[in-house]
Amino acid sequence: MATLTADRKRALRTELEGMLGRGAVLSDPDELLVYESDGLTLFRALADFVVFPQSAEHVSAVVKLAHREGLPFVARGAGTGLSGGCLPAEGGIVLSLMRMNRVLEVDYDNQLAVVEPGLVNLHLSWKVGPKGYYYAPDPSSQQACTIGGNIANNSGGPHTLKYGVTTNHVLGLEVVMPDGEIVWLGGKTRESQGYDLIGVFVGSEGTFGIATKIVVRILKKPQAVKTVLAVFDEVDQASAAVSEIIARGLVPAAVEMIDQLTIGAVEDAFGCGYPRDAAAALLVELDGLAIGIETQAERIVAACRDSGAREVRTAKDEAERQLLWKGRKSAFGAYGRVSPAYMVMDGVIPRTRLPYVLRRVNEIVDAHGLRVGNVFHAGDGNLHPNILYDPRKPGEEARVVAAGAEIMKVCAEVGGSISGEHGIGLEKADFMPFIFSAADLALMQRLKHAFNPQGLCNPGKVFPTRKSCGEAGAVAYRPHAIEEQGLAQRF
Amino acid sequence: MQPAVLEKLRSIVGAPHVLTGVDLSPYVVEGRTPEAAVFPGTVDEVRAVVTLAAESEIPVIAWGGGTAAAAGVAAARAGLVLGLTRLDRVVEHEPGDLTATVEAGRTVAALQATLRERGQWLSLDPPDETRATIGGVFAANASGPRRQLYGTARDLLIGLTVVTAEGAVVRGGGKVVKNVAGYDLPKLFVGSYGTLGIIVECTVKLRPRPDDERLVAVSFDRMKDAGATVRALMASDLIPNAIELLDGASLRALTASAPPAPGAGASAALLVGFDGVPDQVAWQVSELGRLVAATGGRDVREVPAETWPRLARAAAAAFPACAVMRLSVLPTQVADAMEQGGELARGRGMASAWSAHAGVGVVTASLALADGRQDLGVVAAVLREWRGIARGCSGFAVLDTAPLAVKEAVGVWDDAGAAGRIMRRIKEELDPKNVLNPGRFVDSI
Ligand SMILES: Cc1cc2nc3c(=O)[nH]c(=O)nc-3n(C[C@H](O)[C@H](O)[C@H](O)COP(=O)(O)OP(=O)(O)OC[C@H]3O[C@@H](n4cnc5c(N)ncnc54)[C@H](O)[C@@H]3O)c2cc1C
Repeated sequence: MATLTADRKRALRTELEGMLGRGAVLSDPDELLVYESDGLTLFRALADFVVFPQSAEHVSAVVKLAHREGLPFVARGAGTGLSGGCLPAEGGIVLSLMRMNRVLEVDYDNQLAVVEPGLVNLHLSWKVGPKGYYYAPDPSSQQACTIGGNIANNSGGPHTLKYGVTTNHVLGLEVVMPDGEIVWLGGKTRESQGYDLIGVFVGSEGTFGIATKIVVRILKKPQAVKTVLAVFDEVDQASAAVSEIIARGLVPAAVEMIDQLTIGAVEDAFGCGYPRDAAAALLVELDGLAIGIETQAERIVAACRDSGAREVRTAKDEAERQLLWKGRKSAFGAYGRVSPAYMVMDGVIPRTRLPYVLRRVNEIVDAHGLRVGNVFHAGDGNLHPNILYDPRKPGEEARVVAAGAEIMKVCAEVGGSISGEHGIGLEKADFMPFIFSAADLALMQRLKHAFNPQGLCNPGKVFPTRKSCGEAGAVAYRPHAIEEQGLAQRF
Repeated sequence: MQPAVLEKLRSIVGAPHVLTGVDLSPYVVEGRTPEAAVFPGTVDEVRAVVTLAAESEIPVIAWGGGTAAAAGVAAARAGLVLGLTRLDRVVEHEPGDLTATVEAGRTVAALQATLRERGQWLSLDPPDETRATIGGVFAANASGPRRQLYGTARDLLIGLTVVTAEGAVVRGGGKVVKNVAGYDLPKLFVGSYGTLGIIVECTVKLRPRPDDERLVAVSFDRMKDAGATVRALMASDLIPNAIELLDGASLRALTASAPPAPGAGASAALLVGFDGVPDQVAWQVSELGRLVAATGGRDVREVPAETWPRLARAAAAAFPACAVMRLSVLPTQVADAMEQGGELARGRGMASAWSAHAGVGVVTASLALADGRQDLGVVAAVLREWRGIARGCSGFAVLDTAPLAVKEAVGVWDDAGAAGRIMRRIKEELDPKNVLNPGRFVDSI
């Protein structure tokens, strides 16, 4: 990246202020510091400018300026990403979309909403909730993360198992292309013509352009919900139960697993009623029609018992259900009780390989002299091993990073993936060859080139680069601001 | 085709797997005979064939069951048909993972039969299951009535292997149900009609087969009432797996082929499907009866399961020869679009038949060409007006089936706008020599 001279920088600042208004442009290093990293504090990078556009035209004008100047630029939502995706890795301009946060239209009859990218995920469900609707993708950061960030990362959540991830809920996108042109991909209808540009834009981690309007589906809230807790003396039994539930023809809304270390931490902190001596527990949720839900719950109970569960209970009422979910959701906060820091891993495996992979995870972490707590979306095989460590002990963080890479290799070996929801960003760019060949990556590069030929839009992400190897320095994990405020936990 | 190239093709796949001359008759599309048809038995052979064709500058037309072979505009040069039916193995089916990996040339029916043995299915019900291949269904983004609940190809394809225009083998996605590593290549190839790469293997997400399923027909005297019913149904607690709306002509076609008839003589009908455990299905069927009583529905009755595969074909089955157009609109606009479109055709003295996946706003319209005396100008005018209806609903319309002259007059694809330019760039990046199914697709891709 060419560094800007002080004069040039001043001139550009004036020009940007002319476009966006005063108070919409930051360029002082002190102010820029807030935007130097996202939820993964391992990586940091400073931009030349952070700007706050309020419309697609604003975004387009800024992007055109960046294009003209050959300056890299990157969109930023709430900055809750966990792979360094919104970092200005090569300087340039950060476009914060937090001022574009309106719900523009809700069409209940056609079950869709048009929103701006800076809208906080949960705020959409709040908006449509009174009429009995909700927005299904529910990342646990949903009180803070934006729909635009969700689009970029194709985010998921506990209910992904039944309802799908972000990409299954997007109908249309207004996009500012990397040359500044404003283009609609798809629209409000269910189908669109030609290549599925929405399908490839979603999950492109901000490297294909900047979404400025988003059309999403909203769903009717289910008539009934039922929650089952199954307790196991062996992790293998709990893992087997996951496959057993699936193999018996059941499609729960969520199947989450919590291991012994995590249960201990949760019980210390909150006392949610999970048995401390259990090796693992499964939290299974069913939803849908009120009628028939009992029959399905009975099948879940039977599948768990046949897999060796020593206790299976169904939440009697909403209060008990809430308590069980509190245990699950506060797990991350609870690790604070047992460790000064932890790092969350994100990998996916075929569900039937759970017993083997969980054993391997434990062995790897043991071999590095560390401890791990597992709390994750077992139903779709999305692991989140949380490696506990003490950042003050020299070398410990490096061991965590090394163990993380080995765990990713195991996911790859069993035919899985190196990310289920947090994305590649800077963090895992060098792991891409674990699962993709040079030819696979070359095709992805060509696709990127079709959208982003100059490469100015969010450079340095997704693909392996030497730079991303070098920057992965040892920096202590710090909880994200929204975790500190108790607003969300790291799933 | 040069004899030398033909010889090389024979040496790649074996002489019995290269067809020429009169053997090519099943592969004639719109009067054009391909230069040869070749049937590789392995992915390596596919690679070798594509590489050879690219070197020799012969267009390659991927061919599954041929059910969508006439889609789009005929290519300028007929080229080489690359048949995938020998690649038909189920590579892996792990019931506990609810996933399967299958070679592209296996028919949908054959795949479903394998999955059924373990109580599972691929929740996609495209037409012509016994001919349509998995690869072809994904390449053409085919779907059926049950998309109401289960979505379409894009929601089910989690991984794939393609042979690129340059003969490289590329994998996208994976075999896990949740995956955000790298760009979503499976989505790119869904609906790409063989223009970006040859799909040779697919990994799909499966579902358990429901315990029970029922299809219920409700008749209406007015299309408007049927439309209002769709709206009420979508706002209710019911979870139908299909909401098919038929006009009188489509209904007559459906009932003619399948007695006992769902409410013959009605001017519109809804066919609503439910699945799940038996008490859920029974409850929903009775709730539906209650719901339609308030919206002008009558004659509520269950129809046999054999009706399912005929639903999507009902409009086209109304006439011995027809042009078929698919309109994409919002669900609430479906009934109006159907009524308006029918009137426009009648106004020009032509008969039409309409059906829709009403809950998702996908409408199929067929325009009778039965006696062959229709003025091409009038046919084209009606089809253009229909396209106008779709655009007026901020949607679009694609001409699925029509004689070549009509296709040329009306245009198969709708205007792709600025997005079309991005599609073009993708095509140029992935197939710079324009070898794969050239000219058939949107924006002359
Ligand atoms: C405590 C915690 C819990 C979490 N739990 C989950 C979880 O359960 N599931 C899950 O999937 N993720 C989870 N995450 C990760 C994160 O919240 C998601 O990736 C989220 O989608 C990021 O949204 P954001 O608005 O913060 O985006 P940012 O972090 O600001 O940006 C993320 C990426 O999106 C791009 N981007 C942002 N806006 C746009 C736009 N308008 N157009 C194009 N690109 C854009 C950025 O350039 C960047 O590449 C969690 C994170 C934290 C801190």
